Amino acid sequence: MYYPEPISKLIDSFTKLPGIGPKTAVRLAFFVLEMEEDDVLEFGKSLVNAKRELTHCSVCGQITDQDPCSICQDEARDNSLICVVQDPKDVIAMEKMKEFSGKYHVLHGAISPMDGIGPEDINVPSLLNRLKDEGVEELILATNPNIEGEATAMYISRLVKPSGIRITRLAHGLPMGGDLEYADEVTLSKAMEGRREL
Amino acid sequence: MYIKDIKLRSFRNYERIQLEFDDKVNVIIGENAQGKTNLMEAIYLLAFTKSHRTPRDKELIQWDEEYAKIEGSIYKRNRRFPLEIILSKKGKKAKLNHLEQKRLSDYIGALNVVMFAPEDLNLVKGSPQVRRRFIDMEIGQIQPAYIYHLGQYQKVLKQRNHLLKDLQRHRRTDKTMLYVLTDQLIEHASTLLERRFKFLKLLRNWAGPIHESISRQLEQLEVLYDASVEVSEAMDLETISNRYQEKFSKIEDKEIDRGTTLAGPHRDDLIFHVNGKDVQTYGSQGQQRTTALSLKLAEIELIHSEVGEYPILLLDDVLSELDDFRQSHLLHTIQGKVQTFVSTTSIDGIEHHVLKEAEIFRVENGTIEIQK
Ligand SMILES: Nc1ncnc2c1ncn2[C@@H]1O[C@H](COP(=O)(O)OP(=O)(O)O)[C@@H](O)[C@H]1O
Ligand SMILES: [Mg+2]
Ligand SMILES: [Zn+2]
Repeated sequence: MYYPEPISKLIDSFTKLPGIGPKTAVRLAFFVLEMEEDDVLEFGKSLVNAKRELTHCSVCGQITDQDPCSICQDEARDNSLICVVQDPKDVIAMEKMKEFSGKYHVLHGAISPMDGIGPEDINVPSLLNRLKDEGVEELILATNPNIEGEATAMYISRLVKPSGIRITRLAHGLPMGGDLEYADEVTLSKAMEGRREL
Repeated sequence: MYIKDIKLRSFRNYERIQLEFDDKVNVIIGENAQGKTNLMEAIYLLAFTKSHRTPRDKELIQWDEEYAKIEGSIYKRNRRFPLEIILSKKGKKAKLNHLEQKRLSDYIGALNVVMFAPEDLNLVKGSPQVRRRFIDMEIGQIQPAYIYHLGQYQKVLKQRNHLLKDLQRHRRTDKTMLYVLTDQLIEHASTLLERRFKFLKLLRNWAGPIHESISRQLEQLEVLYDASVEVSEAMDLETISNRYQEKFSKIEDKEIDRGTTLAGPHRDDLIFHVNGKDVQTYGSQGQQRTTALSLKLAEIELIHSEVGEYPILLLDDVLSELDDFRQSHLLHTIQGKVQTFVSTTSIDGIEHHVLKEAEIFRVENGTIEIQK
């Protein structure tokens, strides 16, 4: 089927988004045509501004509209504690918890040889630099609990251990509000490994 | 356990069929290329979410169709469990009790199946891969966590092989990441090995006496494990893990030189000895068949003792491959306790009262009729 050029361009743009296939892209494009012009303008502006006005914090790597980011600038936060995460969204999840008062370091990915991603392709070098002069006492490795996330945590741990900085890893546990009998065997055995004294 | 009914939609040469089975013996009769194996394959798929004869799910979907669906009701401890597998070009869905199970290890194990097909006569003669697949599938269906570890192991292995290739071609020189992946590999390798050893111990308990009886007390079967690392079956997890550490540090240069992982469960093998001699090399064809049959019969008993229920047995085109004595031994073993599906081109020559009480299905070009 042939669409007028502006529509096919719009469809093409939508298909560049994650999780959107050709059919959904067509549906979204036609939906846009039905939207109020003001809403469309606003939408376009938000897209461009998000890209233009946001940068990566030069200290922690988080996405921010000011550099260094508000967390890095916050003097009330504990400089001796850094939580290392894979993704900018992980910082937001941690912040929602309102329990953590240290600083962050965003890796933007995990080490994965099969995808050609080595330590220097993610924010590992900047983390090592940071550890040299910032008086950090503990590093919490909060990378994802899968093969690549684990390997990345183990890699960082190998490099940092000799410096004497304390290294911890988030525990894998049972989901809260769930019944023990419904937890799968793998989750249960991980939770068992991570058990602690009461 | 038994499967009460099955519904197929666009699966292989079945457009739409619905069948009710006998809880004892079901005989599927049909000429070649009519759909006998396809039906067995559907039952196998309900248990393992994978075919026994192809790794490509696409082949299972009827030509020119978008998706295939298999539904079946399993009865276990007098309770009904609906199972459902949907295959489409986008992927696969497995539902247990109407709920989708995202993790393979949460689905497999609901239905236990033992299949014996002509290819299984290759268990002894075939490549090590055939025997590794045998041991992995069998442990997996009684111990779903094994499948999880196997999956993790294969992922780490892939990462490690990529890194070894990078080191081989000098695209990278720092070995820290190699040591990380080695540790990760060893964690899963040790678990797999420990669980394989435990399984073998159980398998031997059953396979030995069964083999002796099928061979009319003439043959002693031994099942040995050929590991790519210096271990013994009595070792605990930590010792196994230490042995792997030693092995990998010893072969580091060689692995980099070859650009691939040279030790681990993916390089191990099973060895079968009959009367002290390796059957693969020295056994007659008859001895190799008896060995394969003993192992399959042992599996049935092993699943019964571990799971508390007998599995479903699929005998695809093999009865005619066995001589009278082995045939009646097989039929005698399953009698009355194991729901069995037997496929054959002709029922003549299979003289056994078990078959006489069976439900008979006639298969012709993707349609199935019950013979009254
Ligand atoms: N994806 C498919 N779509 C339609 N027909 C198929 C498909 N795959 C296999 N077949 C057909 O199924 C038949 C083979 O069935 P099978 O069960 O293997 O035969 P047998 O009765 O000898 O065991 C062949 O006629 C083949 O063309
Ligand atoms: Mg066949
Ligand atoms: Zn920052």
